[in-house]
Amino acid sequence: MPLAALTSATDFSAQLFTPSTMSLELSREIKEMMVEELMLKVPADEIADDTPLFGPEGLGLDSVDALQLVVALEKKYGLKLPDGIAARGILQSVATIMAEIHARRVVPEV
Amino acid sequence: MKSTLITGANGGIGAALALAFLKSDVAAQVFLGCRSSRARAESIVAEFPERSRIVTLEVTEAASWEAAVAEIVQRTGRLDVLINNAGHHRDSLLATMPLEDWHSVIATSLTGTFLGCRAVVKAMIGQRSGRIINIASLSALLAPAGQANYAAAKAGVVALTQSLAKEVARAGITVNAICPGYIATEAPGADTAELAGRVPARRLGTPAEVAAAAVFLASDAAAYINGSVLKIDGGIL
Repeated sequence: MPLAALTSATDFSAQLFTPSTMSLELSREIKEMMVEELMLKVPADEIADDTPLFGPEGLGLDSVDALQLVVALEKKYGLKLPDGIAARGILQSVATIMAEIHARRVVPEV
Repeated sequence: MKSTLITGANGGIGAALALAFLKSDVAAQVFLGCRSSRARAESIVAEFPERSRIVTLEVTEAASWEAAVAEIVQRTGRLDVLINNAGHHRDSLLATMPLEDWHSVIATSLTGTFLGCRAVVKAMIGQRSGRIINIASLSALLAPAGQANYAAAKAGVVALTQSLAKEVARAGITVNAICPGYIATEAPGADTAELAGRVPARRLGTPAEVAAAAVFLASDAAAYINGSVLKIDGGIL
């Protein structure tokens, strides 16, 4: 995926997403789900919304974790993500996942 | 309640697998994947009408797998065990092997197993549990003359099994392969006495002996057995 596409996905999330009690709740829920489903060693409250999910600077998830996360998000939130590289823009951080959940709720599927 | 799907369930080993799963657990729900031939599977369903059901399944077609798995999940809410058992021989020397016999055997055994695993793995990840048992063959390990297609397909099944096991182990899923040797089914053209003479145990195996191993691999006791290849061959290899 081109870098520009990843950046625009983040910008998109920033525009749509404004912090609220509901979003704090959603953020906590996603982090707790990730810790449980992916058996992360780090506690949920030490994960920031913008912590990268992949790579050494972030949580260091791998592709198998990503698959488990995709399945868990679909099960819990009905969020159907495309397979492969298209999902990577959405799975950058808890913030980008929240933005996607938020966007799907705001914009009905046609 | 455990929900199990067995492909090739009308065959000798497939039917034995279905009966073994039905008899080993009084709450087991068993789905018998069949194509057009289904007389033996129908007799099993007649014996266990509450807990078994035939599902139409063409293992080489992704859409057929999706429909079958959707039906099972809709009926039982889950899918605990998949046994990829469907397969067939088209033996001949490689020099004279028709390309269609190569494709046909690879499609049923190897592509069918791939499609089956792909169709169930997300549901099993969502459950954080699951058992996949792939019925390979001793031919995967021995690679006899006259079976270049079958041996390659089954060796592929073994490698697929071990690769997938590494991918899904952390989600509580195990993927193992069974390699039956000479098993007494009604497969035509087999000279039983001659075959038995090649086996150190001096007899052919029974479908029930293969099925018993599958029941064990599907049990909680086998939770740490993953990516294993279990040969059931009376000591040939």
